[in-house]
Amino acid sequence: MNNNLHEDLEAQAKQIASLLDDHAQNLSMRQLKQLEDARNNAVNAHANAGVSVNRDGSLTGWIQDNRMAMVGMLLGGVLIAMLAMQAWNRNHEPSDAFLLGADLPPEAFVDRGFEPWLNAKLDVKAQ
Amino acid sequence: MASSQELSDFLREVERRAFKQTVYAVRDDHAAMDIVQDAMLKLAERYADKPVTEYPMLFQRILQNTMRDFWRRQKVRNLWTTLLSSFGSNDEGEDRDPLDTIDVEDESDNPAAKLERSQTMKLIEKAIEKLPSRQREAFVLRYWEEMDVAETALSMGCSQGSVKTHCSRAVHTLAELLKKQGLSSKVLAKPTQI
Repeated sequence: MNNNLHEDLEAQAKQIASLLDDHAQNLSMRQLKQLEDARNNAVNAHANAGVSVNRDGSLTGWIQDNRMAMVGMLLGGVLIAMLAMQAWNRNHEPSDAFLLGADLPPEAFVDRGFEPWLNAKLDVKAQ
Repeated sequence: MASSQELSDFLREVERRAFKQTVYAVRDDHAAMDIVQDAMLKLAERYADKPVTEYPMLFQRILQNTMRDFWRRQKVRNLWTTLLSSFGSNDEGEDRDPLDTIDVEDESDNPAAKLERSQTMKLIEKAIEKLPSRQREAFVLRYWEEMDVAETALSMGCSQGSVKTHCSRAVHTLAELLKKQGLSSKVLAKPTQI
């Protein structure tokens, strides 16, 4: 009984949808023309969707479409710059361990008079 | 990735239905046309890399979201209109375009059948418009777009249980409304026309 009622309602729903579908085919000429224009615009946009550089030469469209990639690239750049700075510092600045383990007191490293002696020592170590 | 020809064929197939569905939802032909145009462009621009088999679902989702955006904008606009109602514009003098009144020729030649059909459609359209928006959305996707429950749920962004509830309520409400108009048996008696 309940199943029959459910099937009746389903059938009625499908019948209504069928009538609506049939009715949707009868639009005015103006509406059909507008839909055709919209479709053509969409197809043109689809054809241009893969282009990364705009006709005026700007990259606005590409940037808008790839916002996440741009942010990723920016963060990657910052990270690489930080790592490079650390590496450079490690190579060019004497560390605390080096200062404490050196024969000279730490003040000697800021005294310009010791510079030639320290440079000569670094050259010997490098060789 | 779908070709431009495939996109064109897909849009040609769905555009009329999409327009009518939007008209039932927003009750304004001009707004409905704007929404459909917008949805078509969004589909073409943002999902150019998707295969054509995914287009029906994507397009319905875009269409429903664009309708929701319209309602949001409409709410704000209505607020301002209410506040500034004393300065309301007068649209009565707007020229009518003869193209608006020309309908594409109907295959039915019988005037009596045409009249009956037209009255039936008006009642059905009114009944559809009276449905709550989520019920109408579920009914349209499930029965008109012939999506299954899972696809409808995905398109509406809700659970399959909710889809079943919305559909059931929509069908019951429609059946009641049409019964009141003495239309239910008439609709069922008509042969399927698809």
